[in-house]
Amino acid sequence: MPDRIMAHMVAFYPDRESSIEVARALIDGGCNYLEVQFPFSDPTADGAYIQKACMRALEKGFKVHLGFSLISRIRKCSSIPIFIMGYANTVFFHGVEIFLKKCVFSKVQGLIIPDLPPGYDEGIFALGKKAGLKIIPVIAPSIKDDRLDEVMSRDPEYVYAVLRKGITGAYTEIGEDNISFLKKVGAYGVKILAGFGISEKKQVRSLSPHVHASVVGTAFIKEIMNNHRLNPYKVITGKMRGLL
Amino acid sequence: MERLYNDFFGCFGGKYVAEILRTPLDELKHEWLEAMKSKDFKGELDILLTEFAGRPTPLMYAENATKAAGGAKIYIKLEGLANTGAHKINNVLGQALLAKRMGKSRIIAETGAGQHGFATAAVCAKLGLECRVYMGEIDIKRQRPNVFWMELFGAEVEPVRGGAGTLKDAVNEALRDWSSSFETTHYLLGSALGPSPYPDMVREFQSVVGREVECEIKRRDLKVEALIACVGGGSNAIGFFYPFLNKKAPRLIGVEAGGTGNDPGEHASRMSGEGRPGIVHGYKSLFLLDDDGQVGSTHSISAGLDYPGIGPQLAYLGQTKRIEFTKISDSEALDAVQLFSKKEGIIFALESAHAGAEAIKFAESLSPEKSIIVNMSGRGDKDLFILAGILDKNRWYSFLEEEVKGNAG
Ligand SMILES: Cc1ncc(COP(=O)(O)O)c(C=O)c1O
Repeated sequence: MPDRIMAHMVAFYPDRESSIEVARALIDGGCNYLEVQFPFSDPTADGAYIQKACMRALEKGFKVHLGFSLISRIRKCSSIPIFIMGYANTVFFHGVEIFLKKCVFSKVQGLIIPDLPPGYDEGIFALGKKAGLKIIPVIAPSIKDDRLDEVMSRDPEYVYAVLRKGITGAYTEIGEDNISFLKKVGAYGVKILAGFGISEKKQVRSLSPHVHASVVGTAFIKEIMNNHRLNPYKVITGKMRGLL
Repeated sequence: MERLYNDFFGCFGGKYVAEILRTPLDELKHEWLEAMKSKDFKGELDILLTEFAGRPTPLMYAENATKAAGGAKIYIKLEGLANTGAHKINNVLGQALLAKRMGKSRIIAETGAGQHGFATAAVCAKLGLECRVYMGEIDIKRQRPNVFWMELFGAEVEPVRGGAGTLKDAVNEALRDWSSSFETTHYLLGSALGPSPYPDMVREFQSVVGREVECEIKRRDLKVEALIACVGGGSNAIGFFYPFLNKKAPRLIGVEAGGTGNDPGEHASRMSGEGRPGIVHGYKSLFLLDDDGQVGSTHSISAGLDYPGIGPQLAYLGQTKRIEFTKISDSEALDAVQLFSKKEGIIFALESAHAGAEAIKFAESLSPEKSIIVNMSGRGDKDLFILAGILDKNRWYSFLEEEVKGNAG
């Protein structure tokens, strides 16, 4: 399978306008999907880099309705599939149905909300289906077989497979364990988006035969943080091209 | 609601966590429910509660405070006399024994006031478990003595710099640790909140407080009008109230942190303030949130009440009106610490002093044949620096200067 990448970014990081530049850079650099994280004050599944980016984005004035406007602006210059990643409270607080309506309105393809897993999902899977949105369950290698069956019974088009324990950030060595996990999940016939700790082309290459796309996130944030004097567009197109 | 495991309390509770944490939570629920059926487990826990924690804790008639208030008789449940200085030890012993049963060798915990961390570090020392405690950097500053004690017990105290630097951020960091360490590690959560089974499990382990009180009420034939407890996450309150939840009486009163005012960021009153439904830290409950759903900032003079959420069962019982909520300001809590010190010779922890202050107010409004019981969830040793810095500022600061110079002796 070809090397495909879902590129992750944080809305309003490093600030509103620069995050549009980051989105353009990721798209121009050749990513296949865009995952836009809506920052939350308490991102418990994220490592130090994404935490910092979220804090910064909130300081820069991120609000949920401005996040949707940002997506509409990205939409104007590209037809790339866009997914929103966020935390349960962001969706729940604004009201699940209202949030989903706004997704449809801004032409978002779907949602990744790790702390609304099937069974504790506030109806997001059923309502998402009705609204024509793809709600992407997040699964981890420690998942028990019967639980995996339960998640897959929601009949998702995509699943987000976390490649290891822990939180976003630290490097993941792709090994036999990952591959057998991906094969097990792949047997259900879903499109697998695999991520956590992917920062190099080498990893993308090893994943490609087993997944629909690799997800890269922290690596881009790190690039922006480490090169904050440089134009983010240049830095990010460079990093993105280097992955393919 | 006599069941051990409820998951939801009305619409609050649940297990809103990323899939990675589902496996250890399911395991925890299973092992906990098995342990609760085991005579050995209960026997071992009872011995530790008696010999190590010093249970039962006394129920003291506060005669002088009663006179000062001039109303109902005030009784104080002296939970602060338990080893490590607060009710936290009850839950810690239960969960630590459970962790051993599950074959975990490492414990992680969050702490605000440091009392839960203190109890966890002590129990880990006693039971031979490795221990790491997450604590916000602001809390480390204001509860420094407890940091020293935790380290003396051999625990590693990890400062949490992100966010507000308080209890909520310590919970975030503990959850992050656990999502990569659960195979060897138990997350020993310190209040009746978080994803299920924690709210149910913590309540059960804390219910020893209420059961002792119930026995004493019967033995002394007290006519109890109300039970009063402070509410951070809610563990001392739910444990204290537990035997009475399904009865009509006595009245159950939860006291939140009124802080310095009613504006956002000045208090931590979710029930008597403007808590809104939310999903944070793996559970659905009422939280202090801003207008866009971000977790709001909080303030309390007591680190242990300085938290934006409330345990789901308490939120539910507040909705059904079984528990009444009220709030006490920073300065009222300070006054209560002084009153009980001068009148009764006991030092309330600043958290518990919120309940103490409410007890005085409440007693005033009742006639003398009635009684009320207030839970002194902890004692105030840990608050030495805060209290002395406010109540005896000049002499305390010059003492500290001398201490730093090495002249203090
Ligand atoms: C003495 C004392 N009381 C009360 C609390 C608040 O916690 P909870 O509401 O779980 O009892 C704390 C928390 O640190 C505490 O140390």
